[in-house]
Amino acid sequence: MAAVGPARLTSGSLLPYRHSLGGVRNVAVCGVLAALLVLTSTLALSVGEFPLPLPEVLRALVGLPSSAELIVLELRLPRVLTGIAAGAALGLAGAIFQAVIRNPLASPDLIGVTAGGSLGAVAAITLAGISAVWVPVLALVGAAVAGTLVYVLAWRRGIALSRLVVIGIALGGTGFAAGALNSLTSLLVAKADITDAQEATVWLTGSLHGRDLDMAVPPLLALLVALPLVPVAARTLRALSLGDDVAAGLGTHLARARLALLALGVGLAATATAAVGAVNFVALGAPQIARRLTRTSIEPLVASALTGALVVTAADLLARRAFAPVELPVGVFTAAIGAPYLLWLLTRAGGVR
Amino acid sequence: MRQVGRRLGALVLGATLLGLALLASLALGARPVALPDVVGALTDFDGSPDQIAVRSLRVPRTVVGVVVGLALGVAGAVMQGLTRNPVADPGLLGVSAGAALGVVVSVVVGGVAAVSGYVWFAFAGALVAALTVYAVANRSPRAPITSLVLAGAAVTATLGSITSAVLVVDQQTLEQYRFWAVGSLVGREVGLAVAILPFVGIGLLAAAMCARGLDALALGDDVARALGRNLATTRVLCGLAIVLLTGAAVAAAGPIAFVGLIVPHLVRPLVGSGHGWLLAACAVYAPSLLLWADVLGRLLIRPAEVPAGVVTALLGAPFLIWVIRRERRSPASTRSLDPAVPGSAPPPPPPRERAVA
Repeated sequence: MAAVGPARLTSGSLLPYRHSLGGVRNVAVCGVLAALLVLTSTLALSVGEFPLPLPEVLRALVGLPSSAELIVLELRLPRVLTGIAAGAALGLAGAIFQAVIRNPLASPDLIGVTAGGSLGAVAAITLAGISAVWVPVLALVGAAVAGTLVYVLAWRRGIALSRLVVIGIALGGTGFAAGALNSLTSLLVAKADITDAQEATVWLTGSLHGRDLDMAVPPLLALLVALPLVPVAARTLRALSLGDDVAAGLGTHLARARLALLALGVGLAATATAAVGAVNFVALGAPQIARRLTRTSIEPLVASALTGALVVTAADLLARRAFAPVELPVGVFTAAIGAPYLLWLLTRAGGVR
Repeated sequence: MRQVGRRLGALVLGATLLGLALLASLALGARPVALPDVVGALTDFDGSPDQIAVRSLRVPRTVVGVVVGLALGVAGAVMQGLTRNPVADPGLLGVSAGAALGVVVSVVVGGVAAVSGYVWFAFAGALVAALTVYAVANRSPRAPITSLVLAGAAVTATLGSITSAVLVVDQQTLEQYRFWAVGSLVGREVGLAVAILPFVGIGLLAAAMCARGLDALALGDDVARALGRNLATTRVLCGLAIVLLTGAAVAAAGPIAFVGLIVPHLVRPLVGSGHGWLLAACAVYAPSLLLWADVLGRLLIRPAEVPAGVVTALLGAPFLIWVIRRERRSPASTRSLDPAVPGSAPPPPPPRERAVA
């Protein structure tokens, strides 16, 4: 991390934990992000095919009788909540991956985890005899298997990031690029009957259309598990960022800590994928945006989660209204913005500056 | 002399495999046709259902498969030579995605109906994508393989998202293009192959003309210049070949990945890395790879079909993984893809990748 040295020295403290949670700037950034998130969500509740005045929306939200009750509570609120939950899970997962592997390129999008989750979920959607209940379960299994496979295949006396990423792209495919898992997914889509195929196609692009609250449950559960662990995780990541020797000296069990953190990341990414489909590049971009905002040397966890939620909510709002009355899947927007960002990142030294 | 004999032998083997692939492509599928009937359909047409299936369905897709395979294989070999990078492939590096976006935009938005019309948009898209990937990978301080693959993936994702935004607007078109978008030979007509043939021909000619330049380039830019090669001419010719071959192939069959990656690696042990023989061998072996992939796709889930592009991806991904694992641990030096800049730039910092765990 190019920024580690000077940033830590000028901070006036050698205590490695200082920025992880308590930094004033970090808290301020999180506050601003949360405020923006509330603002965007409220906006998302009020605009649409039937524009609703804000007072009506607020009345509906707090349970007062309102003309907007049906549209807000039944249609728009589930969609917004699902977006927030999935976006936060993706942002948090990306931050964990990037901090453990110490490189912004090591996000679940690029190392096959998202592709594996997609394959599992599409299998649950298209194969006969599997009920929709299994979508998140199979997504989780697919993501975990794919992540493990990529890690094992890339292993040769250690993990070099270049191998990890290229093998992840070969095995998984990124966004709309064909990899082995992505083509298996399209095979399932080709084989399925037309209604399943259509559902799977929209789902593969990543969409919040017609989500009901049940869909938000898996990423919310994952977040409920993950959020209490954030202080511990942040401290471990901080220790890991100081290098293996120092981390071991500080009493971190390296292999166990990495494995636990990556497992948490896979779980978050997979449940988010199960809820909204393969929304690409949020896990890649959100932690980097958050890190630039908070100016911490490693990816800030809470701020990344908030950024992820904000990005997905805003992108969905755009996807809904930019070409109205035509509604685009949110994944189209995140890829159209996130992929050029990756190109830009590639031209920077190490992607970190 | 023994070398020449061996190379000729490799070409003959390739031609034999291609012959077998042609036969298989005509005979196998949802409705297997006996070989005598296949021959009969071509020479002595009697109008039986089997013969109709061969003549009206399988002959066209086989012809298109040969032309597309040829174009993709040669394009892959030229790309690998030009970038001096073992993972170059029109699909992997986003050139196909550019061509696909060109086709979709011209057909869906512009209403262009004929191949001879939208093939130009495919060329434009391929050109833009190729230049973007080349520029980004060139500026990247990472190891060459990683930067090329990542730049390709990012360009593919960008262009792919625009393509699907265009497609998703109209459910009817999406249905129509869903299979085309993964790369497939289903339902192609002979006219399609005829329409793209001139472009493939010019592309092949350009590729043949830059063969010796690529040989020189393999020795490094300085040596190549010392040998009296005009590097700019070679690069422009290569670019022309890549854009024409990829654009034409995508216009006909959609973005089929990995053919251009696999074939040059397969034939290099047989004919060596001299580009004259390499390109010739790719031209013979690539069509049979695509045809076999197509046949396999017809047999896997009969009576439904797996698009050829899916089969090549399933074959190609393990292959790419093998190529990457075989690469020696990437050296600390990060060779720029285009060190032709006068007054060589200061060496870039070593790639910041550490072994983890």
